[in-house]
Amino acid sequence: MSDQEIIEQLKQGSEAAFRKLVESHQKLVVNTCFGMVHNREDAEDIAQDVFIEVYRSIQQFRADSKLSTWLYRIAVNRSLNHIRDNKKHKWFQSFEKDEEAKSRQLFQVESSAADNPGYEMENKQRAAILYGAINSLPENQKVAFTLNKYEDLSYQEISEVMEMSVSSVESLLFRAKKNLQKKLYQCYKKKCM
Amino acid sequence: MKCKAAHSKLIFFLERELPEPEMKAVQEHLAVCPDCALFAEEMKRTLSILETEKVSEVNPYFYTRVKAKLDRPSEIQLSGIRSSVLVRVLQPVAFSIVLILGVYGGVKMGATGAKTGSAFTAEQEMVPYLNEMDVEPLETFLME
Repeated sequence: MSDQEIIEQLKQGSEAAFRKLVESHQKLVVNTCFGMVHNREDAEDIAQDVFIEVYRSIQQFRADSKLSTWLYRIAVNRSLNHIRDNKKHKWFQSFEKDEEAKSRQLFQVESSAADNPGYEMENKQRAAILYGAINSLPENQKVAFTLNKYEDLSYQEISEVMEMSVSSVESLLFRAKKNLQKKLYQCYKKKCM
Repeated sequence: MKCKAAHSKLIFFLERELPEPEMKAVQEHLAVCPDCALFAEEMKRTLSILETEKVSEVNPYFYTRVKAKLDRPSEIQLSGIRSSVLVRVLQPVAFSIVLILGVYGGVKMGATGAKTGSAFTAEQEMVPYLNEMDVEPLETFLME
């Protein structure tokens, strides 16, 4: 079933089409969200909301852009909202919630280590450093970098998702990489990697 | 090529995004500079995490979860409203009340402390002075 057919059937309320849409685009959406929030559970939660939003607003989709572009856009916006909400409400978070999050994170790291025997402590540390560096990037640079690295999107595709020119995307990615290199070098100097 | 120049191009070198002459220049520098070569290796390993951390397998229960979430919109909306009311209204109100109580308590305690403190000092200062005047006036003291 092509994207066009999925959209047409979805507009008529077909549940099978929705199932097809979710199954065929699940990896794309979860991966994008994961690239933004760096937490598997949160990424899946956001991805679920992305598909619900698609289902509810499919009538407004005018097919000016590709279905995948629309999905990327919603996934990026939802992830950014999630990050902003987390930042905004961090101050209000109670101690218990912090503890809960810490234990959840610990459980996640342990379970991923158990799932993959080759997963070493060093890799965990490297991942933490890299995610820290990516999270410190300005929003636009982070979005462009995530789409490029996690989804292997071309500059042209990123420009369509972000609704900006290809040269702007090039500039964003150049600055993102420069900033990442700077952060990683600082870390290297401090001997934390 | 100097270390600083090589550092500024390392990430692009690792991504193979430099023009051929620059790629060659960085490569030559790395061959003779162990410090830059070590940093390049570390950065390469760190960036390779991006590949390994990608979501490779799909969650088999994903669609079921989406469907379940979709089928209980009222609950989601209600919990959304509840959480937004809690976060946007109740929490700031609670924090404001605690702040006001704190300030009020502080002012009250300060006022009480100031009152007792001043009364105590006045008493301490006045009584011995008056008594001293009664017992030994200045004229008597000077005459002696």
